[in-house]
Amino acid sequence: MTAEQPSTEIGHDEFDPRGTLALILVYFAILVGLWVFMYFVEFLGNGLTVMG
Amino acid sequence: MAEALDAGAPTFADRFPQEAAVVKAALTSSFVALFLGAIFGIVQGLHRTNVLREIDSQYYYTILTAHGVLMVVSFTIFFLVGLFTWATVRSLDRPVVDIRYTWTWYGLMLVGTLMAVVAVLGGFFPSVDISADVLFTFYAPLQAHPLFYGGLAIFVIGTWLAGADWFRAWWAWKQDNPDERIPLQAFMVLTTMLMWYIATIGIAIAVVGFLLPWSLGLFDNINPLLTRTLFWFWGHPVVYFWLMPAYLLWYTVLPTLSGGRLFSDPLARVVFVLFLLLSTPVGIHHQYVDPGIAEGFKMIAMTNTMFLLLPSLLTAFTVVASMEHGARQRGGTGLFGWLRALPWRNPAFTGMALAGLMFAAGGFSGMINAGMNINYLIHNTLWVPGHFHLTVGTAVALTFMAGTYWLWPQLTNRQLYSRPIGLAQVVIWFVGMALMSNAMHVMGLFGVPRRTAEPQYQGFDFLASFGSITEFRLQLALGATLLFISTVLFVGNIAASSGTPKRSGHGRPLSQPLSGAADSPAVLDNLRLWFGIAMVLVVLAYTLPLVSIIDGGGLLGRGVEPVPVIAEPLTTLAEPLSAAAEPITEWAKATLGGVLR
Amino acid sequence: MNIHSYEKIWLVLATLLIVGLISTVTYGATAVGVEMVSDSGGTINASALDEDPRFSEPRVEQVGDNEYAAYVVAQQFIFKPDPITVPANSTVTFYVTSPDVIHGFEIVGTNANAMVVPGEVTELTVEMNEPGEYGILCNEYCGNGHHVMEGKLIVQPESEFQGGETDG
Repeated sequence: MTAEQPSTEIGHDEFDPRGTLALILVYFAILVGLWVFMYFVEFLGNGLTVMG
Repeated sequence: MAEALDAGAPTFADRFPQEAAVVKAALTSSFVALFLGAIFGIVQGLHRTNVLREIDSQYYYTILTAHGVLMVVSFTIFFLVGLFTWATVRSLDRPVVDIRYTWTWYGLMLVGTLMAVVAVLGGFFPSVDISADVLFTFYAPLQAHPLFYGGLAIFVIGTWLAGADWFRAWWAWKQDNPDERIPLQAFMVLTTMLMWYIATIGIAIAVVGFLLPWSLGLFDNINPLLTRTLFWFWGHPVVYFWLMPAYLLWYTVLPTLSGGRLFSDPLARVVFVLFLLLSTPVGIHHQYVDPGIAEGFKMIAMTNTMFLLLPSLLTAFTVVASMEHGARQRGGTGLFGWLRALPWRNPAFTGMALAGLMFAAGGFSGMINAGMNINYLIHNTLWVPGHFHLTVGTAVALTFMAGTYWLWPQLTNRQLYSRPIGLAQVVIWFVGMALMSNAMHVMGLFGVPRRTAEPQYQGFDFLASFGSITEFRLQLALGATLLFISTVLFVGNIAASSGTPKRSGHGRPLSQPLSGAADSPAVLDNLRLWFGIAMVLVVLAYTLPLVSIIDGGGLLGRGVEPVPVIAEPLTTLAEPLSAAAEPITEWAKATLGGVLR
Repeated sequence: MNIHSYEKIWLVLATLLIVGLISTVTYGATAVGVEMVSDSGGTINASALDEDPRFSEPRVEQVGDNEYAAYVVAQQFIFKPDPITVPANSTVTFYVTSPDVIHGFEIVGTNANAMVVPGEVTELTVEMNEPGEYGILCNEYCGNGHHVMEGKLIVQPESEFQGGETDG
């Protein structure tokens, strides 16, 4: 395996994971959207829901 | 990229040769199980989709049992004990207390697995009075041969002894390092094992207290809801037993592979403590549509389960942030452009990254599964295997394979046979799984059941709201085929690596976290506290439901007779037994051969 | 403990998501009225179904104004009665049990999906609206004939429905 040689060193105080934040906000939006679709359209829109 | 070797950096095999031998043996057993399990998997994938039905459908369930047990008991847990031995010894920087004890628990696990697998494979030979066509969940009153239950019990005892081995190593280390924080990898091993000790209470009572004596004929009646509930007491936390070794690799190895450092050691500890606390008091979410369990208990299980999402959601952030750190150190820029700076040609990196990506999708289908009433939509449909092939089947399995590409040279002092094949292998796995799992999720929504040899019925057809059932079947079969090819590539690559020359320089140090253990409160290392709280939560979640089940149906149920899955009574022994023994002796030779080398 | 502010943002969002998921399900349970299968069906002697007035003769019978009870037995490898016939625009409560092993009871293409455990009685109530036909399948492995285990639910127009008794 290749030994990774960093071209720069980034320390604790200099690093803000803004890319991660952006990606995870996109993921969050997908989760919320899919959940709403699955629950309200697929599930509640389906027949013979058990009421008792 | 040019190979830059740390000239003379000692490997794990150089520093701890005895421990390296055990780790190699455990991983070899793991991969043999994976390979056998994969053969059964492709047969299933082609059979239930009606692409290739060569075997009689009754044997589908023998195959399904073997696939389940080999994959989620043998493959995953042998890998775990190998990985955890490596991680404990490496992070504490000391050998195990007594290597003979280590070989003993490994031997027990081997014996237990062999017993269980022989019992299952006996199902192919109707004239042999041994079978276990009960599937991985072995729900009573379907009854397997006692060899099956006995084998599982011995296997689990082996894992208990393994945990004790690592605790002993830690206690010895603590004598010499009284004021230090537990090294992160050792911390992960210990918290995982504490979770396992709690989780296995349920399955131990079910197997040793009920199923094993029942299968020996000591008593006839059984309470199926009780043993099923005890199974799921264990059946949920076992998925974290599969997942936490993968998390160990994501937290402690993947940052280095990415060219960076772990974003936060403290948060990694918090995540593992949360798993210790919450993995077990949730099992009833597998029983949302069971009779005999009140809705209130199901609601409690749901709330606990939803909070169990938290450690995984936190992991997503910490692990991706660590990857981003590596990418930016490698020169990556931009809000998303840094992704391109990651070492995508390295199969160890790419495998783990793809596994994590797939886990994000699996996490969503898991959220659906966790929802108490939406469970009606997908319970026992093909959606459920769609979900767990993303999680244990990829997040765990693909991470294990990727981690092996990185670890194996450090255990053997030999280079991997082929990096390009390794890279192709992980990509093929990802594509194959995407196809197969997507088809499974969609067909599940159409009502297609899981665990069924021929999901085609006389009186009705499944209604596809888009596409067609035939297309999704073909997609599933195609995905399964790609997965099988990928498995062959992986196992072949590792096997061929025993032929590359031995040389030095395979040592791979791991980077230090950006935020270290000292930045976290010492109470995180108070394992007794977390274990105590975890036990309280389990007692709260399970006492009343179990009491209610026993109160309603009795400890031994109401009139429920055993239903053995033995096909025909015993006629002759010799020939079928030797035929059954053949694959087992081959396996034993391969495993022991790996040990002795 | 030092947590980066971005990770704190995510921690808050993740917790909100979890609370949101729990709230949605609670909304379904309360405002919409979806109920889970529970212990309301009670237990039963699995070896003595023929002595139980409900299951000795699996059938559909009227129990109120537009209310019906369907007593169903799931066993290796059939559902009884077959078919299960109910009238449209009614409320049907299924009582399902098994004399042998654990089965699944899934009305295909719907949310009526429950486990059937010998020694326990599964109770679920659903509203039948328009006439139609549904397949029923067993979705829990129950032996080597599991894949042929199927049944049928027929929802008949009210004018055609013949009272309560169907074949056992």
